[in-house]
Amino acid sequence: MTTGASRAGLRLALLLISSLVILALAIAAATAIGDYNIPLRTVFLSVTNHMGLTAADLPRIEESVVWNLRLSRGLVAALCGAGLAICGTILQALLRNPLAEPFVLGVSAGASTGAVCVIILGIGAGIVSLSLGAFAGAFAAFAVVALLSNGATSGPNHTILAGVAASQLFNALTAYIVTTSANAQQARNVMFWLLGSFGGVRWPQFHLLALVVVVSLAVCLIMARKLDAFTFGDEDAAALGIPVASTRLVLFAVTALATAAIVSQVGAIGFVGLVVPHAARYLVGPLHMRLLPAAALLGAVFMVIADIASRVLVSQQTIPIGVVTALVGVPFFALILYRSRPQA
Amino acid sequence: MDSTQKLAAIGALLATLLSGAALAEPTHYPLEIENCGQTITFDKAPERAVALGQNSAEIMLLLGLEDRMAATAFWPNAVLPELKEANDQVKLITVEFPTLESVLQEEPDFVAAMLTTLLGPDSKVAKRADFEDLGIPAYLAPSACTTNLDTGDAYGSREEMWNMDLIYKEIDDIARIFDVQDRGEALIADFKAREAKLRGEFAQNDDLTFLFWFSSASPADDAYLGGGNGPSGFIADLLGGRNALDTDAEWPTLNWEGIMAADPTVIVATQVDRNRWDLDKAENKIAFLTTDPTVSQMEAVKKGRIAVMSGAAMNPSIRTLYGAEELAKEIKAMDLSK
Repeated sequence: MTTGASRAGLRLALLLISSLVILALAIAAATAIGDYNIPLRTVFLSVTNHMGLTAADLPRIEESVVWNLRLSRGLVAALCGAGLAICGTILQALLRNPLAEPFVLGVSAGASTGAVCVIILGIGAGIVSLSLGAFAGAFAAFAVVALLSNGATSGPNHTILAGVAASQLFNALTAYIVTTSANAQQARNVMFWLLGSFGGVRWPQFHLLALVVVVSLAVCLIMARKLDAFTFGDEDAAALGIPVASTRLVLFAVTALATAAIVSQVGAIGFVGLVVPHAARYLVGPLHMRLLPAAALLGAVFMVIADIASRVLVSQQTIPIGVVTALVGVPFFALILYRSRPQA
Repeated sequence: MDSTQKLAAIGALLATLLSGAALAEPTHYPLEIENCGQTITFDKAPERAVALGQNSAEIMLLLGLEDRMAATAFWPNAVLPELKEANDQVKLITVEFPTLESVLQEEPDFVAAMLTTLLGPDSKVAKRADFEDLGIPAYLAPSACTTNLDTGDAYGSREEMWNMDLIYKEIDDIARIFDVQDRGEALIADFKAREAKLRGEFAQNDDLTFLFWFSSASPADDAYLGGGNGPSGFIADLLGGRNALDTDAEWPTLNWEGIMAADPTVIVATQVDRNRWDLDKAENKIAFLTTDPTVSQMEAVKKGRIAVMSGAAMNPSIRTLYGAEELAKEIKAMDLSK
């Protein structure tokens, strides 16, 4: 029994270390690959220069491309992948629904409404940035869901229905504002901005998202055991002495905050939050103490690779990241579905 | 350009050369330009400019700057035919949104952009700071500023009729940046003369209305039209009429019942140079208008008052004036009285 447990622990540690190495390699690849032809030596020295390890004399443009564009983008992609995968895992457990994903609570619809309010209606008059507007909108949508589902205590199905209602409401508001807008460029700006993309990412986005994702993961890990109980149902969780209502609300709020922060910086990127939790569950099982870190790492690697693909599939222009996450992800997902099909 | 326009252009050029050559001061570098609430500084005239957006590129080409352009990107329409030869000498990065890396790869010493989606705080392509940190001056078209957070103003809606003034400001800015003021002044004078010529040729006619049809996904779908106060309204006004739609929206969509109720005197079937929908092409628009059992009963269709114009003119750009001239020629050939 003890040898079995330690073997499992060893296996988990190996898995953790190897996926961290893979993540580092993926980010390194993201930093080396791009439209601008930069020698690998320059790429390496650009990074070490900025870390204060070397002081090589490099072309200014190339150094800036590597450090300001590629590395920040690779790291943000990793954080967004991890964040969305964590949110998806939590929501699938709380709602006991395999189709739950980070946008199920109406967060992306709310973000779009917030964005158009800033851009088209001029709310905040140039002081409130588009990102802040999107964040406020996303959280407003979550507030509506919380209200409709009685503080998210009315059971999983009720919450999902409230999320559907909120999504419809906020999408309709966005469409109404856009179609009656006097200025086509504003409408185009909103639509362009809403398509998920890492194109606008620089270091400030990294700092914000690093904080959000690390805090969310920590909170979720602290509540990992309570989450395990939820998978069996609210009554069982209550029987185990878990304060069901407050736990549920805290976890909903954390996922809504994290998703809202991600959407407000890079737009809505689908598929990762839905599929990565299933893939992680297939690899490490359903216990959240293992599942959450595994999902976070898997989501990070997946998103970094998807972003590299979105940049290199067509040179000198970018394919929407959501298209790539689905194109790259569906074959893997199909494989998992096939291998984990119930045996007759 | 027809021969009268050519004559007018040559006349304007001569007039500037004779009277204004000495007046147009050469640029003194470092040059400071106010652009969308920011000051940008030029130490010298650009040698490797990158134009992001068709209108920025076409303005540079009209100023004869092709040998100082490193590359262009983002072309929703085909280049103006008379600029094709010059444009062929300049590298094309992509007709779509480019990546910032592919722009930097050209080692530009100046970047001019047409839209805030190409250069702006929320752009997925580039922010001003990306270029400024590398010592590359970045310029945003003044017509894009009105909707740009850079200005610090609230986003403005187009409550007044669009006009060419901001385009003239852009031509003047670009000419000063490249130290080709004489060419800039000549170009603006030429455009203003052509604008005045059109206005002089068409008397105000309260009964004349235009419907500008940009495109539709399919005949059954709502049509994308040119709204009241945008460039379409400006073209209609220049030709003595008005837009058949008086909505404030710049690109309203409307079903055919609504279009028939608007009952325009002239339907402008535009030629849109992309391959997204069948009805992007003018000939397919005309085929639908003349064969659909209901739509073909509109007065404008029955009397053959369908005009063709480049869809590029409906975007706020230099092409708006070219479109107005194209349309002027078409309606002169029509009998609008019957």
